[in-house]
Amino acid sequence: MTLRLRKHSFDDDATLMMAIVNRTPDSFFDKGATWAEDAAFERVRLVAEQGAEIVDIGGIKAAPGTEIGVAEEKARVVDFVARVRAEFPELVISVDTWRAEVGAAVCEAGADVLNDAWGGADPELVDVAAQYDAGIVCTHTGGVTPRTRPYRIEYDDVMRAVLDDTLGYAQRALDAGVARESIVIDPAHDFGKNTFHSLEVTRRIDEMVATGWPVLVSLSNKDFVGETLDRPVGERLLGTLAATSVCALAGARIYRVHQVEETRQTVDMVWTIAGRRRPTSVIRGIQ
Amino acid sequence: MTGRVRVALVPGVLALLPEYASLRDPIAELRAAIDTATSWLGGDVEIIATEQGRRVAECALAARTGAAAAADVERSILVVLNGSACRTEKAPGFFDERAEVFDASLRAALATPAPEALRQVDVTLANELWADVAALPQLADLLTGARTVSVDHDAAPYGVQYWVMRWEL
Repeated sequence: MTLRLRKHSFDDDATLMMAIVNRTPDSFFDKGATWAEDAAFERVRLVAEQGAEIVDIGGIKAAPGTEIGVAEEKARVVDFVARVRAEFPELVISVDTWRAEVGAAVCEAGADVLNDAWGGADPELVDVAAQYDAGIVCTHTGGVTPRTRPYRIEYDDVMRAVLDDTLGYAQRALDAGVARESIVIDPAHDFGKNTFHSLEVTRRIDEMVATGWPVLVSLSNKDFVGETLDRPVGERLLGTLAATSVCALAGARIYRVHQVEETRQTVDMVWTIAGRRRPTSVIRGIQ
Repeated sequence: MTGRVRVALVPGVLALLPEYASLRDPIAELRAAIDTATSWLGGDVEIIATEQGRRVAECALAARTGAAAAADVERSILVVLNGSACRTEKAPGFFDERAEVFDASLRAALATPAPEALRQVDVTLANELWADVAALPQLADLLTGARTVSVDHDAAPYGVQYWVMRWEL
């Protein structure tokens, strides 16, 4: 499906790198490396140079921790979005938030996508996306409260649950007036899922692709990779890229990542093997 | 025959075929030169080539951006031929020190043109150097009395000697 994220449109066969930019002091991977605004801005500049099409700016880490209210979340992201918008007009700006009030403020500041990692916890977020003609990412969390860890959650069929929830969310977005070409679905690895669930979702990601909605996967350095390979944060790139390959072969379109260049190469290689992309420059044997 | 005859030469590079297209064209300059030469040939074009070379020629003709020959052109011919494939260590046929001399000699005979020299090309050596010279005898006949219009391309970027040339008589 053709994808439009506010004023930015992408061809049916385009894959997109969504680079994570944390405006947090405590996210699991970067551990506050981009907490300072200038450091976050340098991160944006770097990933833009590396070819990321999207930056995903977040003001609250996903894991439990100190309560961050609306005012503090807005203070972390709204002005920053405006600064990125002014400096990088061609970059798609996504904001990782579940709150409608924050969503409205960042869209006003120039954000193009609301990445709701918490599966529609705030039902008014879709109205904000519709109001600003922004894109929205519809995730599956199994109905958990934002910023909680999965605990003894089980599913009869995890992919069935993922499909039911993400498609239901997509329909709510449509009903609210979000443009069809601006809705993305995301199984949300590790959110409301143990590692076995995330592995199964990865294995069956083609079922999401088959729905026709563009699929986003957020695999980067997550615990399901770490537990599968017994690797701590910082040693999960190879596992992340292996999972990325599986999702790319199935046809996932957007990759939310810490490492842009490595993921871009992986996705391009798999996309080309799948026959959806031409190789970059071939001459050997045909010169 | 009262009208003019136009002859163009291109190499049988498979990378010219759409099924071997890349995102970034590794032979953009060659492709542009071929477009110039094949467009100059005009309407109905005869092809002199091996079976594989014919595919390249047909593709080149289909892809050209123009085909407006002068009104008095009676016959147009596209010949597929190239020099050695042994110009460097990374060349398809590996490096052969005889390749550069062979190509220089063939280049001179083509560019003059010198039909008799073309007829005397050492075919055994050409085969050892992986050159495509199957069309040489017919090209030599065609170029008797011809004048060179242009050498549009002369390069060996991937260890294979390419020429794009045009003649008229």
